[in-house]
Amino acid sequence: MQFLANILYQAGKNFRQTWGTQIMTLLTVTLSVLIFAFFFLIYTNMLSASARLGDDIRLIVYLDQDITAQMRPGLEKKIRDFGPVEKIAFVSRTEAFARLSAQLGKEKDVLNDLSPEFLPPSIEVYPLKTLDNLTMISQFSDFLLTLPNVAKVQSGSDWLRRFGYFTNLLRIVVVLSGGLLIISMTFIVSYTIRLTVLSRQNELEILRLLGASNAYIRLPFLIEGVLQGFLGSSIGLAALYSLYQWITNRFSGPGFLKIFEFAFFPIVITASILLVGIILCTISSLFSIRRFIRI
Amino acid sequence: MLYYLKSDIHPESITIRPPGKGFHMPRDTNTVKPLIEMMNVTKIYPPDVTALEGVSLRIDIGEIIFLTGMSGAGKTTLIKLICCLEAPTNGLIEMAGRDLSRLSSSGIQRMRQKIGVAYQDFKLLDKQTVFQNIAMAMEVTYANPRIIRARIEELLALLNLSDKLHKLAGELSRGEQQRVALARAAANGPSLLLADEPTGNLDQETTELVLNLFQHLNQKNNSTIVIATHDASIYAKTEHRILTLCNGRLASQPEQTTQQINFSKYNKSLISRAKKQK
Ligand SMILES: Nc1ncnc2c1ncn2[C@@H]1O[C@H](COP(=O)(O)OP(=O)(O)OP(=O)(O)O)[C@@H](O)[C@H]1O
Ligand SMILES: [Mg+2]
Repeated sequence: MQFLANILYQAGKNFRQTWGTQIMTLLTVTLSVLIFAFFFLIYTNMLSASARLGDDIRLIVYLDQDITAQMRPGLEKKIRDFGPVEKIAFVSRTEAFARLSAQLGKEKDVLNDLSPEFLPPSIEVYPLKTLDNLTMISQFSDFLLTLPNVAKVQSGSDWLRRFGYFTNLLRIVVVLSGGLLIISMTFIVSYTIRLTVLSRQNELEILRLLGASNAYIRLPFLIEGVLQGFLGSSIGLAALYSLYQWITNRFSGPGFLKIFEFAFFPIVITASILLVGIILCTISSLFSIRRFIRI
Repeated sequence: MLYYLKSDIHPESITIRPPGKGFHMPRDTNTVKPLIEMMNVTKIYPPDVTALEGVSLRIDIGEIIFLTGMSGAGKTTLIKLICCLEAPTNGLIEMAGRDLSRLSSSGIQRMRQKIGVAYQDFKLLDKQTVFQNIAMAMEVTYANPRIIRARIEELLALLNLSDKLHKLAGELSRGEQQRVALARAAANGPSLLLADEPTGNLDQETTELVLNLFQHLNQKNNSTIVIATHDASIYAKTEHRILTLCNGRLASQPEQTTQQINFSKYNKSLISRAKKQK
């Protein structure tokens, strides 16, 4: 108990000596968590929106000629090798004709004059509905064009391409802001701790002469790092949550957000961001402690 | 927890501390045992300042010993060697039978908690109060705050500094700072107290207080006390042993010191060290 009390007392001393910098650091950590979490939130919402997309993301591969039953497994394997696929359906000329006449219903008479062979056979490819695949859809269709006997590939609508393009961009932003997060947490936290160490250099020297244990000297600085990570991440996340609340209240009703069902992070993700923040700050404080406190 | 936590003990018994885990200094009054043994110790500061040369001595548990010599004779260096602030260039130093050069860093830390050192330059924190300065020494041993408070009050009363408890150390006179440094050294009731010029800035009356404190520690705790000084008045009439350094060499060596040193031990350690270096 006394051990803990002493360590906390030392940590308090640290804070009193460099509180200005400490608060700046806390702000920086908070802001970078906020920025990262903001983009990440949009990204995860895009992700869940894409999962709800319907059959729109179907690639239809029109073929020059019917493919025999023996050829199917080979083709199927080629396609599956390229990317994860939910379902592959082979549609022969006659199946296509039957489908069309079913769609026409009463007006199927118009087909009477035509040969049931007039529609091209096709393969329908349903890529797995993950964002990864969606953003790769144009590559996928390019690939399908290279298969033998392929006449044309029809991929989803135009907006789907834009959607993929946008999420791709968003992914870059998420990675960048994640980088910012890591840099701010490691560099700034370790810089602050270095400053605290320097401002207490004399005192640390004397503590060493008095026989203070390594833990006694180092733990307060570690606690400082842990606290920076914990407070910074929680304040950042709390700020994002209030922002989210404000936006959903403001734009509730028949707005564009309805399409997406904009949702906040599940608790697991929130906890993970918090945890990562704490771990990053702790690691960087460990580093600067090792570097600047020689024992 | 790894660190030994001192349970609540009575203020009366604070000066007699329970033996710590690991580093244990024997405190035996009946059979005299050496606390410090130096064998042929040489200290050369880089590049070539020879501060100590071939010093061999033995200091027993419970002894009060004066270390004298002109300025620059090597008194402070000797004290620094004993508390591991400096390492000897050559030779062996043993504390309670342990080779200091082989102590781990945590071993040194535990040892320092049991040695009180009043440095010649005090090494106080000017921006902290007298109380905080002294409390630091006890806090590193995880002492109870109540005990810390009682002990500091007791010590300051002994040194006639009671009214300075909450003054900043930097605002005290040299003589007052010197006594604060002594109080800090004595705070944990150390097994060994090293005082470097403890009376340099003090008048006769205050010097008396300091010497009484030493006496008190020595009698109550059986603390070993080493006093480095060139103030002849404080050791002129003493019955305690006086070691005189002269240009880094021991001038007056009482016969027992040289005879009792265990040179075979010293050789063994030299051989093992030479093996290690290979
Ligand atoms: N850190 C150091 N680097 C180089 N030389 C040093 C160092 N410390 C002490 N010396 C030299 O070692 C010698 C002994 O110094 P020391 O401080 O031990 O003397 P002292 O007996 O304590 O003197 P004083 O009575 O003035 O305090 C001196 O010649 C000094 O110049
Ligand atoms: Mg000196």
